[in-house]
Amino acid sequence: MNTGVIELKSASRWYGNVVAVNDITMTIGPGVTGLLGPNGAGKTTVLHMMAGFLAPSQGEVTLDGRPTWRNPEIYRHLGLVTERENVHGFLTGWDFVLASARLHRLRDPEAAARRALHIVEMTEAANRRISTYSKGMRQRTRVAAALVHDPRVLLLDEPFNGMDPRQRLHMMELLHTMAREGRTILFSSHILEEVEQLSGTVQVIVAGRLAASGDYRRIRRLMTNRPHVFTIHSSDDRRLATALIRLESVSGVSLGQGGLQVQANDYGSFTRALTKTARQEQIRLRQVLPADESLESVFSYLVAANDGAALPNPVQPAPASRPTPSPQPVSGGAR
Amino acid sequence: MPRGAGLPYRHPVPVITTQSLTKRYANGVTALKDLTVEVEPGIIGLVGANGAGKSTLIKLLLGLLTPTSGAIRVLGLDPVTQSAEVRARVGYMPEHDCLPSDISAAEFVTHMGRISGLPAAAARERASETLRHVGLYEERYRQIGGYSTGMKQRVKLAQALVHDPQLLLLDEPTNGLDPAGRQAMLSLIHRIGTEFGISVLVCSHLLGEIERICDSLVAIDGGRLLRSASLSSMTQHTDLLAVEVDEGEQTLFDALTARGLQVKQEDRVLLVRVTQEETYDLIRDVVADLDLSLHRLEQRRYRVADLFAPSTAAQEVSRV
Repeated sequence: MNTGVIELKSASRWYGNVVAVNDITMTIGPGVTGLLGPNGAGKTTVLHMMAGFLAPSQGEVTLDGRPTWRNPEIYRHLGLVTERENVHGFLTGWDFVLASARLHRLRDPEAAARRALHIVEMTEAANRRISTYSKGMRQRTRVAAALVHDPRVLLLDEPFNGMDPRQRLHMMELLHTMAREGRTILFSSHILEEVEQLSGTVQVIVAGRLAASGDYRRIRRLMTNRPHVFTIHSSDDRRLATALIRLESVSGVSLGQGGLQVQANDYGSFTRALTKTARQEQIRLRQVLPADESLESVFSYLVAANDGAALPNPVQPAPASRPTPSPQPVSGGAR
Repeated sequence: MPRGAGLPYRHPVPVITTQSLTKRYANGVTALKDLTVEVEPGIIGLVGANGAGKSTLIKLLLGLLTPTSGAIRVLGLDPVTQSAEVRARVGYMPEHDCLPSDISAAEFVTHMGRISGLPAAAARERASETLRHVGLYEERYRQIGGYSTGMKQRVKLAQALVHDPQLLLLDEPTNGLDPAGRQAMLSLIHRIGTEFGISVLVCSHLLGEIERICDSLVAIDGGRLLRSASLSSMTQHTDLLAVEVDEGEQTLFDALTARGLQVKQEDRVLLVRVTQEETYDLIRDVVADLDLSLHRLEQRRYRVADLFAPSTAAQEVSRV
């Protein structure tokens, strides 16, 4: 069953009285997943528990069913790119990646290092010292070192930090390619536009707890207490507004400079009815924009909803993997 | 968010001009080569790859470096010969962590105000006013060492603003901030640019941010000017209409193609070429007939990112 699945089962981690991660249950499978949360939410702690650097204070963290803590075997299948850059400037890229290959005791370390450097497109600069590299080149070299043993699971903590636009695009393509090969890629990031481009699947952590997991578009659909807002431009906004307000699924319309704003209670019925209504009225739809469907708005809703208040269960569109409601936070959880 | 021109600026226009500006370092590296650009007031994005020459340009603007050849003017002044005047009118927020940890923000910003030539009492008043503007209230009497990244970024911004400059140079102002912190910083920059009448040059790798707050953009690559234009001219509409349905994009793709439209599928988005006004109606009717959920109908725009990926996005758009 070696498929590269990471599982957290009611995992918590505290440092003294500070609860960094509070009873998180999640499953990360093949593909690209984004790990999101405000500063200090516990993202790095989660990544470090997954990578076996930290023991969970309570609960389980496993890779393909085996615990990651005190289990060096996992490093045959797992690679980690940390947030902090600890690379030795006096080494060349080649030396650095080769050393990583040797540490893994690969049968043919030279071939493995060559392959890894080729994947990240650093072959040409491999013989230069790392101190002469740009930020993006250093980052790619670190990815190569983490990839040298061809792991099924790759964890990356803020991999895009300090990269310029071209390097970002390149890194995104790289992660996409690896995900298509069936690897499990989990990365943390603050730049929501990027997460949106790279992956629809997210795990959102707020104040040490899992606030939501799954495809963010589906997470948005589950937030039924927030009406869906659409901005519409048509050949006759006023007449369309009159027709739309008659619909059961529409709770409000307003006309403004930006066009027609529609608030819909029921996403499914409204989006189905919109085209039919417009056709009936013979109105030409030029633009239909979901105004609060971006990952950014979903994220801010989640953070606002989970800030400080007693935490509800995470929003999870996936087949319910939480049979029972989570128990109350452990001591010190209410921060 | 970009706003129209015609707002009152308290300084001469253009804010920055360079004429064949070249900077060669002692080690033979040419950081800027024959750069000629004219920057109008407003919020200006400065973008470019790592090593493109952005930092060199900022140092030249501040008068910290001398050009090898060519000319540079900031607010009509020469930063080499009139460096004191330039620094009195320009505020600079560096990218790296540059704050002392053992004094309070109030003391530090007051000190920076005095360095810029404000009298003691005025510096103290301005410091407290500026810190309030950037959103630091009671915290400003605490030592900077205990601040979060977001608070430190605010202090860096406050020290750049304390002497009431006419031009602000911000180097990666959202670095290390989380989504809420980024949002707050961006709206702050936008306010400074629009309400205070201060021109702002923002250096950033995040093109999405540039698109959100800037009026114009200067892109440099390999020390040369790649593009200098207003943002609206760079994000014009294409003739492609992005259609997104909640489910059943394949069915829709087939139906639209059957009606003779040029359609290209890009993940869950269908890109339809609009040749005539009736195309809109056709799409509406096909979606209605198939009883699909219309999630999005939007004319594609060019994006600033296309500038950096000429081989993919921009060409694909024109190829469909």
